[in-house]
Amino acid sequence: MINQSILMADDDADDRFLVQAAFEDNNIPHHILFFEDGEQLLNHLSTTSGDNAPSFILLDLNMPKRDGREVLKVLKSDKHLRSIPIIIFSTSKAPDDVNSSYFLGANSYVVKPSSYEHLKDVIQKISDFWLNTAMIPS
Amino acid sequence: MNLTSLQLLNRSLDERQLIWTIRFLFGISILLIIALSYSYHTINQELIHYSERVDHTQRTLIILEKTTSKFYQTIYHGRTYLLLRDEANKRAILENIRELNPLMDELDSLITPPPLNRRVKELDATMDQLYERTHVYWTDSTYSTNRQEQEALLREASVLIEQANRIINDLNKAETKLMHNRMQSRDNYKQQVYRYNWVIMLVALVFLSSSFILLDRELRRNNLYRIELENKVENLNRSNSELEQFAYVASHDLQEPLRKIQSFSDRLLLKHRHQLKDDALIMLDKINESAQRMQLLINDLLAFSRLVNPGYKAQQVDLNEVLEEVKNNLSETIKEQNAVIISAELPSLEAYPVQMTQLFQNLISNSIKYSKPEVSPRIAISYRLVGGAEIPDIKPAHKDLQFHRIEFADNGIGFSPEYAEKIFVIFQRLHGRDEFEGTGIGLAICRRVISNHNGYIIAEGQEGKGARFFIYLPLQPFIS
Repeated sequence: MINQSILMADDDADDRFLVQAAFEDNNIPHHILFFEDGEQLLNHLSTTSGDNAPSFILLDLNMPKRDGREVLKVLKSDKHLRSIPIIIFSTSKAPDDVNSSYFLGANSYVVKPSSYEHLKDVIQKISDFWLNTAMIPS
Repeated sequence: MNLTSLQLLNRSLDERQLIWTIRFLFGISILLIIALSYSYHTINQELIHYSERVDHTQRTLIILEKTTSKFYQTIYHGRTYLLLRDEANKRAILENIRELNPLMDELDSLITPPPLNRRVKELDATMDQLYERTHVYWTDSTYSTNRQEQEALLREASVLIEQANRIINDLNKAETKLMHNRMQSRDNYKQQVYRYNWVIMLVALVFLSSSFILLDRELRRNNLYRIELENKVENLNRSNSELEQFAYVASHDLQEPLRKIQSFSDRLLLKHRHQLKDDALIMLDKINESAQRMQLLINDLLAFSRLVNPGYKAQQVDLNEVLEEVKNNLSETIKEQNAVIISAELPSLEAYPVQMTQLFQNLISNSIKYSKPEVSPRIAISYRLVGGAEIPDIKPAHKDLQFHRIEFADNGIGFSPEYAEKIFVIFQRLHGRDEFEGTGIGLAICRRVISNHNGYIIAEGQEGKGARFFIYLPLQPFIS
């Protein structure tokens, strides 16, 4: 098991299941932690120390309690947490959502694919880029 | 929908009739009032004239009476003087004669009609004669008192007096008669003036009250109409915002479960393909296919609903450029199918550019898609400016406008004329999905685009003989 983890916040259990399956099918060894809403994610991040910050966060936009936009705002204004790469992972294709996410500091925006094959491919690409291609803060 | 447009038509006809009725009534009333006022004026002038004449005659009669009285006084004093030789009588005679002169002058100026005036002159002459003949008696005290001479003189004087008396009587009679006539005329005109007063008042009253009633009725009707319109606008706004909400729901909530269906069937296939029997695999395939089709439908529905509120502004669009852009977009298909597109010079107009491109692209790709097998598609685009009256089923309010008429004619498979209206309905298709792919949104979008621009789109076709689409866009755009 690799030390650094990947976090995902999504209220949809099916989506969490499918994403986990995609990570497994792609043989990505990272530990993935799932959260059901923004509040859980923020609570988790507030208790972790700087040493084991996650490699990246997959963040859904529409969630109960604190939604993705709010979480994004909080994270990007926190001086310790703002360096964690955040990938918005949402069903919405609306230009408003895309633009406002980047405006708030999202590192990329990916629309949830509509087939599993496609999802597996997208997860492979995301991991490949953020874990192997891009340099991320350690 | 049809009912309301019929009501609107009736209403507009009603209004036209009403406007002309009001104009007609107004014109008639104005003419009547002017004519009546003119007659009233003339009659009033006559009345004033006759009143003046009556005054004049009255004055003449008074002067005539004064003259008569002075004349008889003179004669009375003359006779008394002859008998008594009293100096007082003599003074009175001279006094009276002095006063008679201006009275006679006045009579002369008052009585102007020649025959009567001649009589006045005669009277004057008679009086002068009488004076000439008799004045020596009271101016010269030494004059003979011979009785015979005196009698002769008195007889001569009597004749003259008699003559003067006759003239005075004649004048009196004539003037009295004149007075009577003139008074009658005056009273006559007075009565007419009185009648005219009433008639004018009545006409004005009828005109004013009918205008008031019409105006009042129209204002109240307009008010009702406005309220009705406001309600409709409110309903329209509500349904528009509901449609927008619906678009959001379609884009997000409907796609969510769909995505799950696809993802899980995908994963099922991926993970357990080897355990599944052939018929299970076919079923899974069907599930996937249906889900994909639903995805297409939702996307189309979304595209269609986004046309309701364009969210951007209309601008000057050169349709030739639009056509070029569309040819570019479709270049692969055009090449593949050997399609030929011939276009006349097209106009520039105020429009939503993206929507115009959508319109042209849908029409042209439709023509290419529904071409005859083995025949390369040929699309002819022609243009001319037409009056609104040429467009079938046009709204009455649009009849007087001018329209750009753009015709798309192809040599494709066409369609039966009975479907000319149906093909514009969303998701309506004339062919099975195995024959031609697609959801049936293209022409619905075309119609939506055209109605966004307050225009008309009409399809004409015959099975096997190609289709023709007519687009009518108003020359003076009124899109906000």
